[in-house]
Amino acid sequence: MEQTKHLQDTPKIVIVGHVDHGKSSLIGRLMYELDQVPEGKFEELKKVSEKRGMEFEFAFLLDALQVERDQGITVDTTQIFFRTKKRNYVFIDAPGHKEFIKNMITGAASADIAILIIDVDEGIKAQTKKHAYILKLLGIKRVITLFNKMDKVNYEENRYLFVKKKLYDYLLKIDVEGLYDIPISAKIGDNIVKKSKKTQWYDGKPLTDVLDNYNYSQNENKNYLRFPVQDIYKLSDKRIIVGRVESGKINIDDELLVLPSNERVKIKSFEEWPKSKKEYHTGECLGLTFSEQIFVDKGNMISHLKNPPKLMNTLEANLFWLSDKKMNLNKKYTLKVNTGEYSINIRKVNKIIDTENLESSNKKIPNKNDVCEVVIHSSQLIPIDDFNVSTKTARFCLLDENEIVSGGIASLKNYPDQKELTNNPNITPVNFNVSEVDRASRFNHRSGVIWMTGLSGAGKSTIAKEVEKKLFFKGFNVFILDGDNLRMGINKGLSFSPEDRTENIRRTAEVAKLFSDAGFIVIVSLISPYRSERKKARDIRPEYFREIYIKASLEECVKRDVKGLYAKAIKSEIKDFTGISSPYEAPTNPDLIIDTENENIEKSVLKLESYISSEFSIKNC
Amino acid sequence: MDSHLKKLENDSIYIFRQAYRSINNMAMLWSLGKDSNVMVWLAFKAFFGKIPFPLVHVDTKKKFKEMYEFRDRYEKEWNLNLIKGDCPPVNEIDPSLPPAARSAARKTEGLKKILKKYNFKGVVAGIRRDEQGTRAKERVFSPRDDTGKWDIKNQPPEFWDQSNFNYPEEVHIRIHPLLGWTEIDIWKYIKSQKIPIVDLYFSKKGKRYRSLGDKDITFPVKSKAKNIDQIIEELKTTKVSERSGRAMDHEQEDIFEKLRSTGYM
Repeated sequence: MEQTKHLQDTPKIVIVGHVDHGKSSLIGRLMYELDQVPEGKFEELKKVSEKRGMEFEFAFLLDALQVERDQGITVDTTQIFFRTKKRNYVFIDAPGHKEFIKNMITGAASADIAILIIDVDEGIKAQTKKHAYILKLLGIKRVITLFNKMDKVNYEENRYLFVKKKLYDYLLKIDVEGLYDIPISAKIGDNIVKKSKKTQWYDGKPLTDVLDNYNYSQNENKNYLRFPVQDIYKLSDKRIIVGRVESGKINIDDELLVLPSNERVKIKSFEEWPKSKKEYHTGECLGLTFSEQIFVDKGNMISHLKNPPKLMNTLEANLFWLSDKKMNLNKKYTLKVNTGEYSINIRKVNKIIDTENLESSNKKIPNKNDVCEVVIHSSQLIPIDDFNVSTKTARFCLLDENEIVSGGIASLKNYPDQKELTNNPNITPVNFNVSEVDRASRFNHRSGVIWMTGLSGAGKSTIAKEVEKKLFFKGFNVFILDGDNLRMGINKGLSFSPEDRTENIRRTAEVAKLFSDAGFIVIVSLISPYRSERKKARDIRPEYFREIYIKASLEECVKRDVKGLYAKAIKSEIKDFTGISSPYEAPTNPDLIIDTENENIEKSVLKLESYISSEFSIKNC
Repeated sequence: MDSHLKKLENDSIYIFRQAYRSINNMAMLWSLGKDSNVMVWLAFKAFFGKIPFPLVHVDTKKKFKEMYEFRDRYEKEWNLNLIKGDCPPVNEIDPSLPPAARSAARKTEGLKKILKKYNFKGVVAGIRRDEQGTRAKERVFSPRDDTGKWDIKNQPPEFWDQSNFNYPEEVHIRIHPLLGWTEIDIWKYIKSQKIPIVDLYFSKKGKRYRSLGDKDITFPVKSKAKNIDQIIEELKTTKVSERSGRAMDHEQEDIFEKLRSTGYM
């Protein structure tokens, strides 16, 4: 098999611009001029247009959805393949309507180069600017600009120059380079494949010539090795670390650095089916095994010893916000960068950029489709790069429960690299003979703290017992720490006053930590009413901690009253009873919610069991 | 293998591993066609020679004899964990659909039955963008609700290889590792890896099948291509679309979208 340094010889080109400026029409026209419309398709589209009482529309080649054809707009992004005499291309059509920015980004994010199309008659519009700005955030800093609908302005050079000046002024301000500018008409076919006679004043090439002669393999990155760990497979007696080289190359003799653990390690073997090589380059997937057992997990980042990524807990970022829900500074989001996931919050919005005039907007909190600069904080250390050093390992998305709400790129210059700070020469960690990784490999799962919080009677203990049993018989090392039981031992003598409750939680969290150090999955079943205390418990080992909210309303728990405690509390026979005479602060962002009011016990148990199993298992394959 | 194929191969392996990591209980459709076999091959590559989840053949009982022979042979040879599912009779399918589409929709119902029975949360399907306009609009990881519905007006964002995997319990995810491949890529890859295929794809008496489906609604197209090299040459110049021999595609303008939005592959 040949060595491939650039796994890309089919360029991906995205077409962006304001709604109705001719993106889909341009691609349709190209397909037609290059004679690549399938047999019968032309006739079919004619019928489709007639049925809707429209003129023949090239855009229907791509706008395949009924909603798109009926409304005459592109809703979702599409990709179409075509070839010129010189090479193959993938064209990505992106919707121009502001409602569908998320689809535009979905399309544009994978492009090598962009074409920004503009209706010369209408001139620059809001989405022309917004799209250009988003391209920049996506790392596409070069564009080909097309001035479409020249037929509508009688092919007047002056009109073309006027619009071009305005557009280039804007591009210059946002640091996007306009490479070529071509006056075209997608509808008539001017300057698409052949030079048009109607634009004698234009001395450049038609679009396809420009595309064919462009050098797509430009890369401004430093090409340092970045290998994010995608997964760990256990295959007979091997522990195979799989992933993809995002940048640089990896050789069998290299010494590697694993982050965030900051451990050095040598490679024992490369793994590939049916046969492995000695060296892998950017874009290639591979498996590797290490010459010694060190702790590596999904989401870790592997690099060379020289020029590793930074290890950050605070960083700045440029974001585009995609969700209907406003950004919330009090909320926990999941940041996904390469194969890693981190719990973060947005500490501050530095500014919201009005893409129309490039000034700071006076809004405080970003809305849907806004672009902004923020400060992000994480309690875990995130191996990440600055966008100008390594594009692919600097871009991330933010998730809010089950929705991707944002995407962004990291800027690391204003906050310290924690790797340097944590290398304290005065602290020597104790080396145990049995390490965490040994335990995890023997038990086939990682350690974990499953923290179940909820009102008395919500079902914590019942679910915990069932889940423990199921996991145990599946071979998990699992153990329950139950609030009531602990109060007979280590927590004996603590009352239900706020101070004692805090101490109760602290002790329980420390015991849970010991169990997790021993390789166990500990299920903690504890009312733990205060958010701040649960956060402290999480902070002991955030990577292993999962907060599970066992949800049932107070009314429901009073109704259930299995232990008869609510009845006593209501009659004031028990003091400081959570929900009655003492507060319960429900989790704002638990890792999992189990709603015992609306789902039966079997379903609750199954849900938690499969959650734990998927979060902590080391999969065999 | 040229560098473009190498890139496609690596992209697909990444998708397989991402799916296996993120989805609890998944399976892969194996329709016995060329794309499906490429997919099995890629899964071997992703998981070092042994696929760690079941394959599913949704059997309409109307496939070509050659396809059944192929299935039985490679189920053993490749040591596959294969689930064979059946489909309801056509009279149980929405009568408002035109005949070929109605017949094809049996497969949708067969698939839904299996998903439910095994509680699969993810299923790998070998669709490609260049086959059909609505498939070109797909995501790599595409959610379907409990009725199999595809919400085409509101697909989740997907960029930089980041997708959402947190969906409500009743949702399953369609995984599309071949979305970026074209028909000619598939054939070049089959050639480079020597992947076995059903020989219905090769020309006999001046005709060959470009795409395989149920035998009563799938027709061969004119072709002289008798081997893989000739197929690749043919595809460089042909203007006949790949699915031109699939009757279900041509009954109504919106028929494929209708089928897909209710759960067809």
